[in-house]
Amino acid sequence: MTLENGETPPNDGLAHLHKAEHDLEKAIEKEREAEREIANAESEIKEAIREEEEEARHFTVEVPYDGARKKFEVRVEETVKQLLDKALIAFGPLPAPHTLALFKDGKELSDPLTIKEAGIKPHDVLLLRPSTVKGGA
Amino acid sequence: MNTLYRLERGMLEETFRHFRECGAGREECQVLWLASWEKPDVIAKVVHPKHIAGRGGFVLDDRWLNDFWMELGDTNMGIRFQVHTHPTEAFHSQTDDDYPIIHKPGFLSLVIPDFGLGPVGFKDAYLTEIQADGRWQEATIPSRLVLT
Repeated sequence: MTLENGETPPNDGLAHLHKAEHDLEKAIEKEREAEREIANAESEIKEAIREEEEEARHFTVEVPYDGARKKFEVRVEETVKQLLDKALIAFGPLPAPHTLALFKDGKELSDPLTIKEAGIKPHDVLLLRPSTVKGGA
Repeated sequence: MNTLYRLERGMLEETFRHFRECGAGREECQVLWLASWEKPDVIAKVVHPKHIAGRGGFVLDDRWLNDFWMELGDTNMGIRFQVHTHPTEAFHSQTDDDYPIIHKPGFLSLVIPDFGLGPVGFKDAYLTEIQADGRWQEATIPSRLVLT
């Protein structure tokens, strides 16, 4: 409604102001809610990245010897020798450990290499077998 | 230790057939006797490894060994005996002692004389077993093996 002098009645203006304030509060609340959701999502992503990084540094491999398979937890900074020693104990007693080595993709792994340097990945199968099998009169 | 293994006569005949066809009286040859881990005392399979050989010895093929190692795990079978021929007398040489396919107590190695050209059986054969300390010690064949 407009007064004869062209001014809006004071009550209508107040009502509009209240409505605008209310809308603004709702918008601010929505913005806060959205910020909370973003923060939660960021936190979940960070946790997923941390878990993935942890899995990449600490994982399981499988070692078969004479038809039996055993799983071993390894860390990327461990050496092949440390894993070999664990396997020799697990499959033991193996009284000639110096004749055995770990093989990946058909190649004998060098003892001093770390798990990372040897290219060993989660769930890899590493063969525990003699380096050479031969006989002769 | 001291397991008495059961071996079907047909598997022994198959073993000698490999020796005669592969070694042909000129080269040494090896076969492996496998048993499942469910029935570890019953020989269930004869395997003839890919190898290179001569009159005085043999060496298993490395790639074959990798594949075979995976297959053992997939089929839940283990190697109980390695069996190989010598040109004449059966015994365990230093090479035989040092480079077996399995090196754990109770593993058995049987050596067949005369390139396996003699009668199918254990006449003049030599059996030896890995002890707890890693040394090989001769064992009598009837104490470890019965034909069925």
